[in-house]
Amino acid sequence: MTTATRNISLPAEWRDFWALTKPRVMSLVVFTALCGLLAAPGHIHPVIGFTAILCIALGAGACGALNQWYEADVDAKMARTLKRPLPAGRMDREAALHFGIGLAAFSVGIMGVAVNWISAGLLAFSIFFYAVVYTIWLKPNTPQNIVIGGAAGAFPPVIGWAAVTGDVTLVPILLFSIIFLWTPPHFWALALFMKTDYGAAGIPMLPNVSGQRVTRNQIFAYSFPMAAVAIAPFALGESGWLYGVTSALLNVVFLALAFKVWRNEANEAKDMKPEKQLFAFSILYLFLLFALFAFDRILFA
Amino acid sequence: MTQPEQSGFTAEETRIIRARQAARSRIMGIILVALCVLFFLITVVKIGVWG
Repeated sequence: MTTATRNISLPAEWRDFWALTKPRVMSLVVFTALCGLLAAPGHIHPVIGFTAILCIALGAGACGALNQWYEADVDAKMARTLKRPLPAGRMDREAALHFGIGLAAFSVGIMGVAVNWISAGLLAFSIFFYAVVYTIWLKPNTPQNIVIGGAAGAFPPVIGWAAVTGDVTLVPILLFSIIFLWTPPHFWALALFMKTDYGAAGIPMLPNVSGQRVTRNQIFAYSFPMAAVAIAPFALGESGWLYGVTSALLNVVFLALAFKVWRNEANEAKDMKPEKQLFAFSILYLFLLFALFAFDRILFA
Repeated sequence: MTQPEQSGFTAEETRIIRARQAARSRIMGIILVALCVLFFLITVVKIGVWG
């Protein structure tokens, strides 16, 4: 019996289950869901609001676990994901699958019973969309994977909103659209300087399939509708001046960085400073945009 | 449940398994207590005690 085989038979540490939930991704999901919940009109009891956010976090954790269960072989081929619990041999795949399904069922059930069944239905659909439509179907088969798959990451603010109101109106659809249109420039910027990693794993990301020029064109092209949708809540009278002015500034910076990416002709990751800048700023952009929107709605409600 | 001592594990592996089981049990205990508190609070809110 080899050492590796013996290691797999050992029970996984609790920290490995925690890592399976992709805590960093979960933090962005929780944050956007919280902003959707705070921006919604009406009142929700703090205990029920906390439960709603907890369920969304657990649902996101379920997505992470199911994603890592399905992609264990792919993760083993990429330096960025090589040390995750499954490719590193610290956990067996069956445990990850059971953990993911358990978290998904628990989060949807508690959301339905404690909050409302509209938000529970949206949570269930978003988990299904991420785990099945994105991870199993789109990601290994099409370079448009993150365009359509981006919808999965766009659901949290809608679920947060629905937890309060029990419905889905124009504002949550705008919040959904912001994340949906933000996802392609965000992930393609990463894919440009991680091209070799994705290529080694056989994932058909746009830079590997259509080339870097097409990817840079697409990043720049997507930035415009994203900016338009980001300013739309103010233009449609759904936010105050605070959000209107600051979102305009954030979008100007985003467009300027996307323009630098578009002009860049570098082929090597070490020369892709504009791409790295855009990727880093895109995370800050989304955090600030949603925080300002929620703050604005609370302040001027 | 198979005991590590009966499965041909070395003494070091048995120690690691016991340590991991103990850590997982502690975390599970904390989670269960937290869920009990949460479910109690949800019930109190749902039956309208706090309006």
